[in-house]
Amino acid sequence: MDETWELTQMTRIEVVISGEDVAVATDLFAEAGARGFTAVSNVSGLGHRGHHQGRLLFNQRDALTLLTVVLPADRAGALLEGLRSLLVNRSGVMLVSDTWVSRPEYFR
Amino acid sequence: MTGAESGLVRARLLADLDEAARSIAPLWPLSTAIAVNPLWDLRHLPFHEAVRHAQQVLGISGYPSPALFAQAYATGRVSVEDLRAALDHDRDAGCQDAYAGHEPEPGTRRWQTAAERRDEVSGSQLAANIDREMAKWCAAYLAGIVPMGPTEGFYAAWRKVVVFDPSARSLARRAGRKRLAELGADPEDAILTCLDLLSISDQDRIPELARHLARTPGWAGHAKWRSRWAAPDQPGPSLHLVDYLAVRLCYEAVLLVNATVPSALAMGHTAKRRRVLPAPRARRAEGATYVLDDGNRTRAEDSVGVELPDDLKRHLGGLSATALAKVWLAAYEGHFRDRLFAALDRPALKAGPSPQAQVVFCIDVRSEGLRRHLEGCGPYETLGFAGFFALPIRFGPWWSDEAMDLCPVLLRPSARVPERPVTSTGRAASRELEGRQAVAAAQRAFNSTRKGALSQFVLAEAGGIVAGPIAVAKTLAPFWYQAARRRAHQVIAPAAATGVDAEPSASTMSDDEQALFAEAALTTMGLTRGFAPLVMLCGHGSTTENNPHASSLDCGACGGNRGGPSARAAAAILNRQATRALLAERGITIPATTWFVAAEHDTATDIVTMLDVHLVPDDHAERAATLQSALHRAGAATAVERASRLPGTESRRRVTAPAGRAADWAQVRPEWGLARNAAFIVAPRSVSAGVNLDSRCFLHSYDATTDPEGVALETILTAPMVVAHWINAQYYFSTVDPDILSAGDKTAHNIVAGVGVVQGTGGDLRVGLPLQSLYDGDRAYHEPMRLLVVVEAPQAVLEAVIARNPVLQHLFDGHWVQLAARENGHDNWKIRRAGGTWVRRVPAGARTEENAVRG
Repeated sequence: MDETWELTQMTRIEVVISGEDVAVATDLFAEAGARGFTAVSNVSGLGHRGHHQGRLLFNQRDALTLLTVVLPADRAGALLEGLRSLLVNRSGVMLVSDTWVSRPEYFR
Repeated sequence: MTGAESGLVRARLLADLDEAARSIAPLWPLSTAIAVNPLWDLRHLPFHEAVRHAQQVLGISGYPSPALFAQAYATGRVSVEDLRAALDHDRDAGCQDAYAGHEPEPGTRRWQTAAERRDEVSGSQLAANIDREMAKWCAAYLAGIVPMGPTEGFYAAWRKVVVFDPSARSLARRAGRKRLAELGADPEDAILTCLDLLSISDQDRIPELARHLARTPGWAGHAKWRSRWAAPDQPGPSLHLVDYLAVRLCYEAVLLVNATVPSALAMGHTAKRRRVLPAPRARRAEGATYVLDDGNRTRAEDSVGVELPDDLKRHLGGLSATALAKVWLAAYEGHFRDRLFAALDRPALKAGPSPQAQVVFCIDVRSEGLRRHLEGCGPYETLGFAGFFALPIRFGPWWSDEAMDLCPVLLRPSARVPERPVTSTGRAASRELEGRQAVAAAQRAFNSTRKGALSQFVLAEAGGIVAGPIAVAKTLAPFWYQAARRRAHQVIAPAAATGVDAEPSASTMSDDEQALFAEAALTTMGLTRGFAPLVMLCGHGSTTENNPHASSLDCGACGGNRGGPSARAAAAILNRQATRALLAERGITIPATTWFVAAEHDTATDIVTMLDVHLVPDDHAERAATLQSALHRAGAATAVERASRLPGTESRRRVTAPAGRAADWAQVRPEWGLARNAAFIVAPRSVSAGVNLDSRCFLHSYDATTDPEGVALETILTAPMVVAHWINAQYYFSTVDPDILSAGDKTAHNIVAGVGVVQGTGGDLRVGLPLQSLYDGDRAYHEPMRLLVVVEAPQAVLEAVIARNPVLQHLFDGHWVQLAARENGHDNWKIRRAGGTWVRRVPAGARTEENAVRG
């Protein structure tokens, strides 16, 4: 990362979960002190349960939702633990990566 | 513990709490009460395993009682052939072990809280005392009696006031009462502290929390609704799961922490002195039940007790009570299935002349009779579609800021479509608004007087002069009173003509969005060509008096609201030229001569009211009037048919007839609602037209020939069918476990804070349906069966739809719902087995060898 870019490193967590699990996931975001998140509902893709077509017109609870949250690394551990516990009994995917943001105060 | 460690522990707790809450169902507030499968969050388990789980956590039976089966056998509702077929079915499916002497795994037992374990050892009543305190505080909090800050949750509000509570002192003594409020500043910390004090290990946490919630499934269900289903901007006090459990565990920890037998608190403790678990919470309404015995196996308190042929005695005699219940249930369901297919297997009806009108009804089972009678009244074609007409909207009357969400609870409304007075009625609209404002002001004054510390006594004294005669009039002359009230309202606030404004400048839906929803509605119901000159969209609602569960009789697809506004909005959108132009680009051409009109079917009276009649063009007016007349005749015939099923109508008194029941404030059974629902048919109307389905089937129109990819079928199976399954499962469990999963006897209901009802003066909120919606006296009117889904579509398309939707795999493979299908009218009906094997349907008594066909 070029330091002249003046970006701040954060942790980005993305989860793809069933629509009905979004409420508990966002509770976990709040508990971890996340200041915001992005949700994309009715996403499609291929997973170990097969193809998800993302075309459930009238059932948002069983459609898959992609949630993206960015927060400082020192707060990510608690969220990862909560999501990991959640995914023990639910289907879903969690991706964790480093990311850089230009306005860190929005995420602290 | 460091801050980071604390964060980890709290996050894990929230995940465990959510897992624990799977054992209970959300409970919607009364104003939007809908039917829900009480075990919906256990659907990842097969039906019988989910029932077994619920037996342990909730203490339910999960199966119809032996008495119900004995009665069914005595009346021929279950035959010897049905029982043999049920046994054969599972032999064929290779799951004999499901029946043959199968017993629960050793070492499993009903889950208990620490207080229940203590009660078991010492004979105390701690758990019941905690239930009572919880009910008291939840009711007080939701009713606004507990003082709270604007963003203050239940736990914080309770913590501030419990230190002054005399009953807390009586239970925990003065020091204990003080201690109640010292276990943590926030609810998560309090729960963790309490679990630690109670020596509940991390591994035992989920069952412990689940049982806490299951002790009061009503209040906990309300908390689950608030935490997991309510919109984030839902107004009103927020009773969340985490707050609920925090308060509950504080009581438990304080009352138990000084226990003289600490080991008795730990999970897994086995009582030595008391051999048998506490009795089930209350007596069942009908006959004997299946309960856990002291070895934690399910046993029958009473066998089915009927005389059977020797071969059945031999096969059934060795079964456990649960296995026996499974066989009887399968036979009970098989009997209905055979009769339904016998009715459907008849020569196809010849197509009639071009219809004068097409009428789209909700899929609700109560539409079936009206559709049948209307089709007999003239050249009318009827279709079935979910009553929100594919429009998930937020709608409010023009004179109010309040709005309702008109869509299934599986969805959030995506748009707002307003109602407006038509421009020519400006003065009339002003007059109605002034009248309504006057009425609202009077109601506000009445309510504030009613809640005042002293004024309520004055009101009771002074109001009696008026209330007394009104009560007499409502009791002795309900029709007169209803008419007088209507007239008075018309004088004070005469209704102005209105319409739904679907123009993008007024609604939040663009032309493209409207066209998208219109296309989805028309293709899913199979109405993409052959439009009649008049197409009616008919929602439904139920007019009843003095009925806290009124919304459960309204349209489930409209979120427990009346369906008229959805029909009006859909008709307005489909009549717009912009919508039609975009639809034409998508291949759906609606003739310029076709007009969409809205209506509402009152299921309590079977009167169909045409809505927005003033908007019907002159060249359609005569046709509309003719249709209205036909609907009047069809409604009257439907009411006569329905009256034959309602108890008490033999007296021929006006007040016991369907319309009379709707006006009678003392009537506990204004209609049967969706009782006896049993099947969901997804097919062209020609499959069921002319067959009297006895208002037992949800009917969804579907034409597989226009849906080669199964897109519309996927929509139907993942939304309307799920809603139908919820309704079916709600009726099933409320009937088989009325003590725990029904709302109990209506005559003893009291409304609490507008969110639910309690039986008598307090206690848990009652979940499920009232007994009067399920039982006629001691006899179950509803026939508890799992939903049978009948589809006319190619198996390959069905399997592809199932393969890409886990919810369908759970429901079909897990035996929550049975699926039968055929490709077309020349095909035989086949039954789908778990995993996608299809077998030709053979009726009981004619079973030779079924031809297994790989799906």
